[in-house]
Amino acid sequence: MELVSLVRLEGVAKHVILPDDSRLDILRDIELAIAAGDHVAIVGRSGSGKSTLLNLMGMLDRPSEGAVWFRGEPVRKMRRGKLDKLRGRNVGFVFQQFNLLAGRTALENVEMPLGYASGRSFWNRRRTATAMLERVGLGHRIDSTPEQLSGGEQQRVAIARALVRRPALILADEPTGALDVETGGSVMALLDEIASEADAALVTITHDLHVAARARRHYRLEAGVLTPFDLSAPAAGAAAAAAYDRIAPELAESVGGPLSDEQPQAEASTSEDELAADAVEVAS
Amino acid sequence: MTGLVGALGEAWSELRHHKLRVLLSLIGIAVSVGALTAVVALSEYQQQQMAEQSDVSGGRPATVSISAGRTDGSPMDWQAFDAHVAQVSERYSFTYQTRLVNNATVDIQTPEQVRSVGAWLVDPAYPIIHRTPLLEGRWFQDADAELLAPPVVITEALWDVYGRPALGGGFALQLQGDAGGSYTVIGVTPKQYDGDNEKRVVMLFDSYRSRVEQLSADTPVMWEVWMPEAEVADIGPLLAADLRASLDKSVDVTVSRTDWASRPEMQNSSAMFEMITGAIAGLVLLLGGLGLVNIQLVAMRQRIREIGVRRSFGATGGRIFTSVLLESVVATAVAGVIGIALAVAILRAPFVLTMFQGMQDIPPFPMRAAVTGLIAAVAIGALAGFIPALMAVRSNVIDALRF
Repeated sequence: MELVSLVRLEGVAKHVILPDDSRLDILRDIELAIAAGDHVAIVGRSGSGKSTLLNLMGMLDRPSEGAVWFRGEPVRKMRRGKLDKLRGRNVGFVFQQFNLLAGRTALENVEMPLGYASGRSFWNRRRTATAMLERVGLGHRIDSTPEQLSGGEQQRVAIARALVRRPALILADEPTGALDVETGGSVMALLDEIASEADAALVTITHDLHVAARARRHYRLEAGVLTPFDLSAPAAGAAAAAAYDRIAPELAESVGGPLSDEQPQAEASTSEDELAADAVEVAS
Repeated sequence: MTGLVGALGEAWSELRHHKLRVLLSLIGIAVSVGALTAVVALSEYQQQQMAEQSDVSGGRPATVSISAGRTDGSPMDWQAFDAHVAQVSERYSFTYQTRLVNNATVDIQTPEQVRSVGAWLVDPAYPIIHRTPLLEGRWFQDADAELLAPPVVITEALWDVYGRPALGGGFALQLQGDAGGSYTVIGVTPKQYDGDNEKRVVMLFDSYRSRVEQLSADTPVMWEVWMPEAEVADIGPLLAADLRASLDKSVDVTVSRTDWASRPEMQNSSAMFEMITGAIAGLVLLLGGLGLVNIQLVAMRQRIREIGVRRSFGATGGRIFTSVLLESVVATAVAGVIGIALAVAILRAPFVLTMFQGMQDIPPFPMRAAVTGLIAAVAIGALAGFIPALMAVRSNVIDALRF
């Protein structure tokens, strides 16, 4: 059964021309389809083009080659205003640095995306935002500014903001990158939970394997090339093993200690859900 | 609809967030709008005062003066000519009309001696036409001419001679000679300037005439008519023609306007005052606007990230532009209102009222000035907001979000 995917990237490439007239390829021949309710993790090193890929999926950027389709419509042909509205309606962003509006209260921050809506969601924005903040457990902090919130709380506000318009697609760029492991784990658990409640597709970009392990499908982005790999399958596949070798040091960095030798086997032998729980345990 | 409301709300919250920055940049705008408004209002006050001062001598707009003389050197028969004027002007049914003799003299008994003072003979309409102010008491009424003790209004200097007795308590002048008798003092006119020592009696033409048989041929009589300014151009020549008709050739009749509005130079001078002060206030406003542009531009550099975040949550370019533009417009509009309030406060300040002392009709707060100030403020806001707004729209979302 061929369903129309939410976002589809077809042969997408992105390159920029550097000041010395040489061409820098950021992304090459990307094929990716995200369905509604999907949960995808993209793992890659810094500078591998992860953010560019996310910007393309979020319709913030246009590809140099290839095509991006949103709900079966080609993004290339849309006018900018329509694209902005489409993005506001359907996409929610969670950033590594939270990117909350400084000096504005949590409520004002969560209200902000609804300010670009129209009709009832515009006029009811305060109530909707309050409910959303209560959902992320910050009902008692709605009048606090980002400066008065901890990192974890700030990211929860950012999650409330990303989800307040009930988007079909949530794009999270290193959502735990600025948080300690424990806080990161609870923030990711919350993001997962709310995304599946809202039946939204969640695409997480990360270099943290614990975070990646929460996803149903996994991709590895390396030097602009996107390849799928199966995190839960037995470690027999050479590609997966290679991926682990590359990612392990980064993972070690993010956990703050050396990775135990047994872990790949342990992860390989457990189901996805258990793995997620494991990951948090290892982290703690 | 929601777009505009949303943009306005955003602009307002942005302003609240940057209170200090906005406040500092707006002081200049508020001050210059206040200055601009005050200048226009003060120039209106000044115009009013100048008008009132010249009304005292020339009458209100439009006052038409009628005078006559004989060209053949023989004495003028004033009684006959007065009757002629009365007959002609009856056709026009003027509401305010007065005769005026301003070089008669009467002898009065003062506490020390009998002295001769100047006397003006007028009709009750005279003080209305000339806005002649009173220090004490009242002006004439139509019925006053029939009183047995006819009323008079005297100058302050003459009042001083009697030691400023209270009016209405039987204070009367004793006149000697032709117009002899007792005259009740009903009003006192103030000194025109410091050291004004003119002792004069103003009495009703009819009271005087009922006591004096014949007006002397060398005390010329003038007639003054106050008519609507819009009609004077039509009525003036007609009136002149009517007066000249059926008179013999040796009587020369002059009909002319004496009020200030018939002389353009006074209006020019107040326009000049308004233009110069207005230009200075405009320059201050422009400087304030430049300061605002400067501050907004610097602030915009820090806000690129924020704009990127807003764009990623669905803000269209137009929306960003409107919000940033409205930020300046809302801010300067608020500053404009503050400036206008400032101007109102200045105009109500005691020192201003002292400056324009003696003004009878204080003009209402000029809406023209308030509107001018507000429009100027909003315009400078739009101008100051345009460049930062353009910059905000041009900013690249991806660059703005990169860290």
